[in-house]
Amino acid sequence: MEGVIGFFQYFWDIREMVAVLTVRHAWMALAGVVLGTLTAVPMGILISRKPKVGVYVIDFAGMLYTIPSLALLGFLLPFLGLGWLPTITALVIYSWLPVLRNTVTGILGVDPAAKEAAKGMGATPYQLLMNVELPLALPVIMAAIRTVAVLTVGITVMGALVGARGLGELIFQGISMMDNRTILAGTIPVSIMALSFDQLLGLLERKLKVVTSSA
Amino acid sequence: MTREISVELQNVSKYYGTEKVVDEVSFSVEKGEIFVLIGPSGCGKTTTLKMINQLIPHTSGNILVNGVDVTKLDAVELRRSIGYVIQYIGLLPHLTIQENIAFVLKLTKKSKKEQNERALELVETVGLQANYLKRYPRELSGGQQQRVGVARALAANPDILLMDEPFGAVDPLTREQLQNELLRLQESIRKTIVFVTHDMQEAFKVGSRIGILRQGKLVCLGTPMEIVRSEDEFVKNFIGQGALFEVLDTIPVLRAIEKDIPIVSEKGKVDLSDEKLKGWENIFVTNDHGQCLGYISLDSLNQDGTFSAGQIEPLPAGCSPEVSVKQAVEEMLWKGKTWLPVISEDEGFKGIVLFSSCADLLAEDRR
Repeated sequence: MEGVIGFFQYFWDIREMVAVLTVRHAWMALAGVVLGTLTAVPMGILISRKPKVGVYVIDFAGMLYTIPSLALLGFLLPFLGLGWLPTITALVIYSWLPVLRNTVTGILGVDPAAKEAAKGMGATPYQLLMNVELPLALPVIMAAIRTVAVLTVGITVMGALVGARGLGELIFQGISMMDNRTILAGTIPVSIMALSFDQLLGLLERKLKVVTSSA
Repeated sequence: MTREISVELQNVSKYYGTEKVVDEVSFSVEKGEIFVLIGPSGCGKTTTLKMINQLIPHTSGNILVNGVDVTKLDAVELRRSIGYVIQYIGLLPHLTIQENIAFVLKLTKKSKKEQNERALELVETVGLQANYLKRYPRELSGGQQQRVGVARALAANPDILLMDEPFGAVDPLTREQLQNELLRLQESIRKTIVFVTHDMQEAFKVGSRIGILRQGKLVCLGTPMEIVRSEDEFVKNFIGQGALFEVLDTIPVLRAIEKDIPIVSEKGKVDLSDEKLKGWENIFVTNDHGQCLGYISLDSLNQDGTFSAGQIEPLPAGCSPEVSVKQAVEEMLWKGKTWLPVISEDEGFKGIVLFSSCADLLAEDRR
C-alpha cells in the first residue's frame, strides 16, 4: 500500500515532466500514424490496380517491417540525425506493411458484383474508388490503422534512444537507475495513450461510415 | 412501316488471345422488344451483352446503339444511358435502398431532391413500399433486392436495359413472380431489353425473340414459336422435349378463349332454333352484371326453352384472364376438365377456354 501511495507521490512530483513528455510522445506517434496512412493508403490503391507488381512492394514493406526498431533507428541516424525526425520516419516505415496490405486486401475483397454494377451504371474509375471500393474496404483499412496506432505508440518509446524525447526517456532512465517508479511513470501513460488512440480511431471509423453512406 | 432498331450487332467478334469467345454475331433488337440471348455456359452470351455497354470491348465488327457506333461514344456516358441489371444484383451494401436506386443520378450529380423523388417513384414502380427506402440491402430478401436492382437500372430513365441472368439467383417461385412483374412493367415502360438467361422456360416466357448462342456463334434466331420448330439438332436438344408446352406459357389465355359461346340471361329463355347452339351441350347463364351464374345442359331445358334456377349447375373454379394458355391447360389437367371458365378479378365472365382450342394454338403460327 505504501508503495502505491509512494508511486503516486512521486508521479505527482514529476507531473510536469510527464506532461511535457506525453504531449511530445503523442504528437510523434500521431505524426507517424497520419503520415504512414497518407503514404500507405494511396500506395495500396495503386497496388490493388496492379496486384502482380504489388506483391513485390508488399514484400519490400514486409522486409522493412522485420528490421528491429533499434537497428532501423541506428540505420537512419547518419542520414537524419538525432531527434524526432528519425523517430517519425521509423514509425512511418513500420506503419507501411499493415496499412498497405490491408488496403490492398480490402479493395480486392470488395464484392465483384458491386463493382461490376457500379461500373455498368457508368461510374468513372474515380467514382468507383470513392463511392464503392474505399467505403467497402474501409473496415479492413481501419483495422490496420488501429493496429498501427497501438504499435506506433510503443515504438515511439525507442525514439528516446536517438534523443526524440518521448515517454521512453522516463522508461530508459528508470531502467538505468533500476527505479521501477520511473519506469511506471513512463509506461502507464504509454499504455493509456495506446488504448485511447485505438478507441478514438474506432470512433472515427464509425463517423466515416456515416459520412460515406450518406454522401 | 419500318421498325426502329435500338441495338444492332454487325459481325461482332471477341477474342481473348487467340480464343474466339464471340464469333461473328449479328442481330438487331427492335425498340420496345425483349430480346433474349440464351445458350449453355461459356457460349458467350454474357460477353455479348457486356459488349453492348462496352464493359467488355469487342475485337471486331460494329455495335450500334440507337444507330451510333459505341466506339465513337464515351464509355461512361454510354453506360449511364443504358440500364444494367446483373445476376448477383450488386447492390452497394453501405448505401440505403434509396441511395442505391439513385446511384446513377448521384454519379451524374443530380440534386439530392431529384434523387430522392426518383427513388420514391421507382421503389413503388417495382412493387416495394416506400418504407424500404431507408433500409439497407442486407435487410431485404433476394427477390426484394433484385426489384431494387431493376429500380436502380431504371433510375436514369434509359431506353435500353441490359439484364444478365437477372432472376438467376432467386428461388423458382420468386423468379416466376419477378418474371411476371417484369412483363407487367414492360407493358407500361416499353423499354428495349436485352435479356441473358440459361433457362429456356424463362426465355420463352419473357422473350419476344430469342437468339441461341453456341460456342460464340448465333445458331438460331426467331420468335419462341419459330425456335421450337427449328430443325437444328443442337437447338432441338438444347430447348428440350417440353419446349412446345413451354411456349404455351407465352400466350395469354385470352387468345385461346371461345368468344361465340351460347349465353342466355337468367330472366330470359333459350331460343332452341339458334344456330349458335350447334355443337354445344351446355348453355351459360349470365345476370345483368356480366357475371355467370352457371350453365344448363341443353337436354335438361324445358320444351319451350325456359328453365328454372334450380336447373343451373354452378361453374367449376375458373382461371383469371391474366394466366397463360399453359397455366390454363395445367389447371384443366389437374382438375380433369376439358374446359375452364375465364373470370376476371371483378367476377366478370370473359368466356371459356377449351382444351382442344389450346391444342389448336400450337398448330397455328404466332405471327
